[in-house]
Amino acid sequence: MISRHQRIVFWCLVGCILAMGTLLFVERQRARDRIVALADATPLDAPYSTTESVTLDLANDSDGSITATTRPIALPGEVTARARALLEHLLAEYALPGSPHPLQSGAAVDDVFLLPLPLVGHSGGTTAATSTLIASNDPNALQPQNPGGELAVINLRSSFVNAHPSGVEVESLTLMSIIGTLHTNLPQIEQIRFLVDGQPRETLAGHADLLRTYPSKDTTARAETSVAP
Amino acid sequence: MNLAKKSATACLLAIATHLCSAQTPTTPAQISAAQKSTAATPTLPASPFNRTTVLLDPAHGGSDSGSRISDSILEKDITLALAFKLRSLLAARGFTVVMTRDSDAATQADTPNPLTLDDRAGIANRAHPAACLLLHATAAGNGVHIYRSELEPIPNEVNGTSWLTAQAAWVTQSEKLQKLLGQALTRARVPLVLSRASVRPVDSLTCPALVVELAPKGSDSSSLTNESYQQHVAGAIAAALVFWQNQAQPPVRLAPLPTTPTPKKGVQP
Repeated sequence: MISRHQRIVFWCLVGCILAMGTLLFVERQRARDRIVALADATPLDAPYSTTESVTLDLANDSDGSITATTRPIALPGEVTARARALLEHLLAEYALPGSPHPLQSGAAVDDVFLLPLPLVGHSGGTTAATSTLIASNDPNALQPQNPGGELAVINLRSSFVNAHPSGVEVESLTLMSIIGTLHTNLPQIEQIRFLVDGQPRETLAGHADLLRTYPSKDTTARAETSVAP
Repeated sequence: MNLAKKSATACLLAIATHLCSAQTPTTPAQISAAQKSTAATPTLPASPFNRTTVLLDPAHGGSDSGSRISDSILEKDITLALAFKLRSLLAARGFTVVMTRDSDAATQADTPNPLTLDDRAGIANRAHPAACLLLHATAAGNGVHIYRSELEPIPNEVNGTSWLTAQAAWVTQSEKLQKLLGQALTRARVPLVLSRASVRPVDSLTCPALVVELAPKGSDSSSLTNESYQQHVAGAIAAALVFWQNQAQPPVRLAPLPTTPTPKKGVQP
């Protein structure tokens, strides 16, 4: 005959065993979920590298100059995302208090598209296998200066363009700053065009030409002669 | 009687010489460039070039007020006021002045539609002027800012060139005009900035073309509306244009190269 207190101890031990088993099971599941989450390679955010030193060509309204300045910035690895992030950082600099080229804060660049030069179109069949790529016969068509040269199409937001200060100098400096920064950091870009909300627009704020295809170049050497009387 | 005949002959000779000099290259560089281009492609007769015509484009107008200089000063009003002063001074010096607008709003002929920037370039190109001045104003900086096109210069004007790069053949002339205006304004003790910028529609103009941006006299932006300041700047520009009318030289026009039908080069994607 088993005594009463022995039965109580037995069932207490059984309860402890079950509780410990449950705890082990739950912890095992949690550990397994953590490992699965770490092994999941599904891209959720743009891959950012560690902070790197990036050269921004910053404009100065007071003397009409553009100066190369380095900033520690983390940029995505993918080239179009990199170009867009670069321009967002550049234009965000101008929204800071005390900026020598003050612009309104907020998102400015909707997208940046990089197109290999020369631009080609599809002709022929209805499927990729049967169609052929054809180059334009137009002598004025955009041509690469070097193999692998690309055309960057920068799609600006109308909210940024509509709020941009008006004037030949200030508008030119914004465009030259963008062009110079892209030239320094993405040398494969040879030519640059601008759109506003996906549409061509004549000017930035009444002056600087947005219909033109700009050559990518170093704009810190922008020739400007000031003559004091 | 003999004296009258002689003077008439001399006048005819002078006119003929003037017309010839307007249509043929005169400097050694122009002659050699013209000879080279002639050897390669046939030249066309020079386009009309009116040495005594100046085009003034007071920028903006109507609903496009340009930049807001202050609460009560708009860029479009300053450009128009400066254009009127320049027109008077140039007319007094014997120039024919063509203006893209002479009132607040510029409209297309026979329609109430506002002039586009391309329309303004069309007016300028049809006038074949010795100089095209696109007048702007700004509150930034001081003095006068003069910009020429950012296009890379080409030696000859090719018939049928692109609308957006039509200025390329004229950039060399625009640069010379920029220097001349710069010297005149420096003599007039006006602070000056000479630079390059892509300002619509300067790249579409087939004439020596400059963007002349009037900035305040000092740090006070209200000086932009100062009559005597505007008159002073306009006087210096008008004086420079008198010298310019004899120096301007239109580029040699070339016929477009014959396009041979080339087989389309296709590559499999």
